[in-house]
Amino acid sequence: MPEQTDSADVTGTAGTAPGPPPAVRVEGLWKRFGEQVAVSGIDLELPAGRFIGLVGPNGAGKTTTLSMVTGLLRPDMGRIEVAGHDVWRDPVEVKSRIGVLPEGLRLFERLSGRELLGYTGRLRGLPGAETDKRATQLLDVLDLAGAQHKLVVDYSTGMRKKIGLASALLHNPEVLFLDEPFEGVDPVSAQTIRGVLERYTRSGATVVFSSHVMELVESLCDWVAVMAAGRIRAQGTLAEVRGEAASLQDAFLELVGAGTRDTGESLDWLGGAR
Amino acid sequence: MTVLDAPAGSAVPAVPGQGLVPVFVRLKLTLLRNGLRQSSGRRAAYAASLVVTVLFAAGQVIGLIALRGHAQADTLVVLLTAVVALGWAVMPLFFPSGDETLDPGRLVMLPLRPRPLIGALLVASLIGIGPLFTFTLALGSVIAVAHGAAAAVSGAVAVPLTLLVCVALARSVATANIRLLTSRKGRDLAVLSGLVIAVGIQFVNFGAQSLGRAGGLSSLEPVADVVRWLPPASALGAVASASEGSYGTALGQLLLSVLALGGLMWLWQRSLVKLMTSPDGSTIAAAGPAAGRAGAGRSGLLSRLPEGRTGTVMRRSLLYVVRDPKTKASWVTALAIGLIVPLLNAVQGSGSVYFACFAAGMLGMQMYNQFGQDTSAFWTVALSISSTRDAYVELRARALALLLITLPYTVLVTVVTAAVLGDRGALPGVMGLSFALLGAMLATGAVASALFPYSVPQDGAFKNAMPGQGGLAWISVLGGMVAAAVLSGPVIGLTVWLHVAGHRDLLWLLLPVGAVYGAFIAWLGVRLAAARTADRLPEILAAVSKG
Repeated sequence: MPEQTDSADVTGTAGTAPGPPPAVRVEGLWKRFGEQVAVSGIDLELPAGRFIGLVGPNGAGKTTTLSMVTGLLRPDMGRIEVAGHDVWRDPVEVKSRIGVLPEGLRLFERLSGRELLGYTGRLRGLPGAETDKRATQLLDVLDLAGAQHKLVVDYSTGMRKKIGLASALLHNPEVLFLDEPFEGVDPVSAQTIRGVLERYTRSGATVVFSSHVMELVESLCDWVAVMAAGRIRAQGTLAEVRGEAASLQDAFLELVGAGTRDTGESLDWLGGAR
Repeated sequence: MTVLDAPAGSAVPAVPGQGLVPVFVRLKLTLLRNGLRQSSGRRAAYAASLVVTVLFAAGQVIGLIALRGHAQADTLVVLLTAVVALGWAVMPLFFPSGDETLDPGRLVMLPLRPRPLIGALLVASLIGIGPLFTFTLALGSVIAVAHGAAAAVSGAVAVPLTLLVCVALARSVATANIRLLTSRKGRDLAVLSGLVIAVGIQFVNFGAQSLGRAGGLSSLEPVADVVRWLPPASALGAVASASEGSYGTALGQLLLSVLALGGLMWLWQRSLVKLMTSPDGSTIAAAGPAAGRAGAGRSGLLSRLPEGRTGTVMRRSLLYVVRDPKTKASWVTALAIGLIVPLLNAVQGSGSVYFACFAAGMLGMQMYNQFGQDTSAFWTVALSISSTRDAYVELRARALALLLITLPYTVLVTVVTAAVLGDRGALPGVMGLSFALLGAMLATGAVASALFPYSVPQDGAFKNAMPGQGGLAWISVLGGMVAAAVLSGPVIGLTVWLHVAGHRDLLWLLLPVGAVYGAFIAWLGVRLAAARTADRLPEILAAVSKG
């Protein structure tokens, strides 16, 4: 079992204090798909014990980066450490410490929600009784108890994200990676997910999640990395990244170089006489 | 197009009915063209099926023309039309996603009245390979049976009428069942349709054979006498009646087909309107009570599996055999063919008891592409494998789950085949050889799973590999089977030697030798595969995520 990092004191001093190693350290990471460079040499250091948002427009390389960090995609070049262990050289140490909710990959959908948790927990080496106990609590908290015997293939998007989150949390990981956890999720489920994540980070664990919804990132995260076109454009605390701008949205648009585009004369009929 | 045009073009009132037909015809052609543009494989497949259909249709027309004047021409024509119409009725249930213009969900937001919409959809659905085939059939049929001016006139009506009834039939069946077809259960059903067709072919085969014995077409005349009154066959029945001068009968038969067309259109329109004005399946499912205890607790055999990774993986594998339509279809096929081939040969007295080894080979094939069967859910497995040991336990558990079914089944097939042939003496030898072969298939299957994984498409009954990976699938299975045959070579060699050297009394030795050898080879294969699997996790995930 991974032990919890004792990092209750890192608020505000992350990166400078000699305490625990950073949750994630990435150096010179590259990934190319054919002609397309998805991630071009990024360096990233995500402090432990924070709620971290990886933001960027669609196609910025967020999913590719998270896949490489979690060991699901082999990088062309670069070094990745999670909690001080090299992801590719030391998978035993890393895989037991991380939880993952990927985007665009399936679950074992022909299992019921409860069976999926039972399967994932035991696969992760948890004892059966402990797995079932944790599964019951997670299903309750995530409001899935009523649907626990339904096959996951019949779940809605929000329910899928929630059961995916439950299986990622089951083994109490040190670092949790969530790729677009709120995409297509209804407000009620989103609030539930949020509550669970906030509680989880209060225990000192790290959450890294990707999103392109700035308001969400602004309200949830205390640390942000901005990504665009395969590069990291900024990283730091929310206040640092926001800087002088009124909101994270404005700072973000400025960083990725997307000013307000004037539609000019081209849509003058829209809203005109009918 | 519509979204931006609608407010701007102030001169666009309700779309006039006539204007709609060319729009839908164009839509259908565009969808067809864009579908073909996606991949050269699809283009080739479409071109091939078009050529085959045209050749077949031409042959059919020529055959029907040659039949002109034959006494039983009308019997054949009427029955053929009925069979084709049945095909039109059943087709949308098996291939629901064939035509996007079928889906009323895509049209629901457009300001369209049902009546012109139905007309336009009907015309649009006349485009395609199926309608072309039906048209040539109807045309050939009319030529085969029409004699005289009155018959020619009724034939001119019968050809389009037959075609329209067929198309309207398919459309109304599809629209009436679209809830089922777009639901998960409907899609599962479509995947299993391959089995239905395979079994159906056996029945057709059987029927054709008994027909050949019973004295040909004349035995079908009573059936044809009924069918010639059933639309759309009645339209062609009318042509035959007109040829014989029974104009009243002809008129009645034609009228029946016209009425059927009207009735089908009415049904179609009714279900379309209902679909477009009521909440769709997703809303209903979300609002309904959480029903269906799919997997309540551990039960029966599955609860007796050991704790730990081995039992967990075995349990998941076995659940998937029952619940995943694709896995289920491939298992049922393997089990059925593995039994049918040796048994049928034995019953006909032509087989050898060694044919029973076929079952072991068929079932061993289930070990191939293990990770492809997981689809992209393999990431869960990948995240839990951090050493060669983990990969070994994972693969071994999958092989054990397979053995739980295949071992008893192999024994059963061998015993039954030997019993039917009355060759009890050969039983232990054959069983030993089967075990060796099964072990070799598990070994090569495990290695192929690690080295040549490919995605298994989740929809469609007949696709077992994604475009571009078909070659990989074939090579891995074919190469694996050859390798398995070579690997079980020592046991095969021993069998041959015992027979040739006349040591038939020692054939029982093959049972322990085959079992031990099979187990050893399987263990070796899983060991080798485990190291490769642990090294290649991201590559395997990428290969199986293309579905």
